[in-house]
Amino acid sequence: MKYTVTVGKHTIPVEVKGDTVQLDGHPVRAVLAGFPRTPLRQLVVNGRARTFAMIRSADGWLVQASGRAWSVEVLDERTSALRELTGRGRGHAAGGLIRAPMPGLVVRVEVEVGQKLEAGAGVVVLEAMKMENEITTPGPGIVRAVHVGPGAAVEKGAALVELGEIEP
Amino acid sequence: MNRVLVANRGEIALRIIRACHEEGVEAVAVYSEADRLSPHVKAADAAVEIGPAPASESYLSVERLLEAARRTGADAVHPGYGFLAEQAHFAEAAQRAGLAFIGPPASAIRAMGEKTEARRRMAKAGVPIVPGTTEPLPDVEAALRAADEIGFPVLLKAAAGGGGKGMRVAATAGEVRKGFVQAASEARSAFGDEAIYLEKLVERPRHVEIQVLADRFGNTIHLGERECSVQRRHQKLIEESPSTAVDLDLRLRMGEAAVKAAQAVGYLSAGTVEFLLDPAGKFYFLEMNTRLQVEHPITEMVYGVDIVREQLRIAAGEPMTCPNRPMRPRGHAIECRITAEDPFANFLPATGRIDYLHTPSGPGVRWDAGVETGSEIQLYYDSLLGKLITWGETRERAIRRMRRALDELVVVGVPTSQPFHRRVMDEAGFLSGAYDIGYLERVGGELLSPEPSEEELQQIAVAAALAEDEARSAMVPLVENDKAGPSESPWLRVARLRGLR
Repeated sequence: MKYTVTVGKHTIPVEVKGDTVQLDGHPVRAVLAGFPRTPLRQLVVNGRARTFAMIRSADGWLVQASGRAWSVEVLDERTSALRELTGRGRGHAAGGLIRAPMPGLVVRVEVEVGQKLEAGAGVVVLEAMKMENEITTPGPGIVRAVHVGPGAAVEKGAALVELGEIEP
Repeated sequence: MNRVLVANRGEIALRIIRACHEEGVEAVAVYSEADRLSPHVKAADAAVEIGPAPASESYLSVERLLEAARRTGADAVHPGYGFLAEQAHFAEAAQRAGLAFIGPPASAIRAMGEKTEARRRMAKAGVPIVPGTTEPLPDVEAALRAADEIGFPVLLKAAAGGGGKGMRVAATAGEVRKGFVQAASEARSAFGDEAIYLEKLVERPRHVEIQVLADRFGNTIHLGERECSVQRRHQKLIEESPSTAVDLDLRLRMGEAAVKAAQAVGYLSAGTVEFLLDPAGKFYFLEMNTRLQVEHPITEMVYGVDIVREQLRIAAGEPMTCPNRPMRPRGHAIECRITAEDPFANFLPATGRIDYLHTPSGPGVRWDAGVETGSEIQLYYDSLLGKLITWGETRERAIRRMRRALDELVVVGVPTSQPFHRRVMDEAGFLSGAYDIGYLERVGGELLSPEPSEEELQQIAVAAALAEDEARSAMVPLVENDKAGPSESPWLRVARLRGLR
């Protein structure tokens, strides 16, 4: 089976045929073996072993290597071709919406509707684990809406502030 | 002393319970509703629920802690660090309730807890201090005047503070205005006291602290230094002992100053005197932490002293076991704080459940933690999961061991600072030992650049493709055997396997 594997912004085609995978057009001997009752799997490629923690996710696998988790998308040929046709990529950020990167308590809102912001400007201060964290805007914009107020408890991913484009 | 109430949670509660058990003393754990299943609860000889998850209604409730002590017949209380550890009123309340407080006298906590008073006292005792105000600032305008007077950049600090909470650097008047409000607000929520003072920012300093111990027999000693300059926003991430910037002569001078500082406030038990050490080798008193310190294990490793045991002995009115003369450190120890923070997302605190945990062990490795597989990491408390400590004959051996131990550690379910530490252990600046508190700011970006190597990328891709292929094609995937659903009869499976023979 041919798969299109996406790790971060890298896309790597991998063809699996029994104990052999085609990688960059070269056949490599590769075996993956699991350890029962753990999320650990050991990959042996050309005789060299490496252990990963792997958990199934919605569209692929969460692969943890040396303490770092990678969200890996694995698509088969057919799905991958369909994606190409419809031109739909993965993980588009909602335009202009600043979300809470972590759960926390809103300490202060530092912007008002109509305010023009430069990239990096603070919008909301969130308290989490007893530390105040200033949430900033990744790009310039004009504040369209403020969705939270001081004292509000927000979940990870909650909409904080909506930004629109500054008219030229 | 027969039964100690441990008024804390997490790794430090477990650390104290272990010391109690080694001394043949019983330990009573307390826990909030959120911590019912925590390792420290299991380890204790008795455990008392003291209230809901928010610390203000549980771990910070003097009344509930003392009630728990009374109900379980505890005769002493150990506050750990954080929570009520540096609250003089807690030490007093414990003593009024007939409990031995395993820590310094309330008067010493009070003298050092109010940072501006501590600065005045230290100056008087001949301990060098950083130039700045020795009184809290009444308002922003006063802060601006003081900053102009001593010169930018300045550091705004909570008078009741510690651990980087309620602290802001300001290089301009605008930053003083903004920082003053933020620091005061943070100080109010963290310490219930919004008093702020101001110091000259010492440029490119190291954060070097001295461990002290004092007993009731007139012995006040120091156990050398800990280098704590790998910090992020004044939160320590990596500590080591000894410091590469401290030689024998400087250690003796800093140690003497720390002992003088402790004696000036009538100190007892374990405490830490923090200094800023500038590139010229001049040091300034920063503050004294009147409690057991998070990073105390590295001192234990190189001095062969069990600091919590000494605390128990001192509180019981016994002399400390350490000799009353300067001791020599043996070898080198490093601590990496494993926190539930994502180093690749600006160290944002993370929550979740630890689905799988494999902890490092073997020669020279110590793992002090308060979590296990299944632990829920919640937002209510500090993000520290555990501390990984290694010891080696030399700094180089300790670093090699730390690399090996970090490679063994597996935490699944919550992002942690582990990959950050692993990278630091290979970073040239850290390896050279020539670093200061600006270290992370300088190297952090490059260190945490998210790109995996070409080889690692391919390995990850191959592993994911093989796992996917197996999940799709295998009827009963080998690796999923243990997860076979209830519909699959084990008899049927055995029969099928026999048929295959």
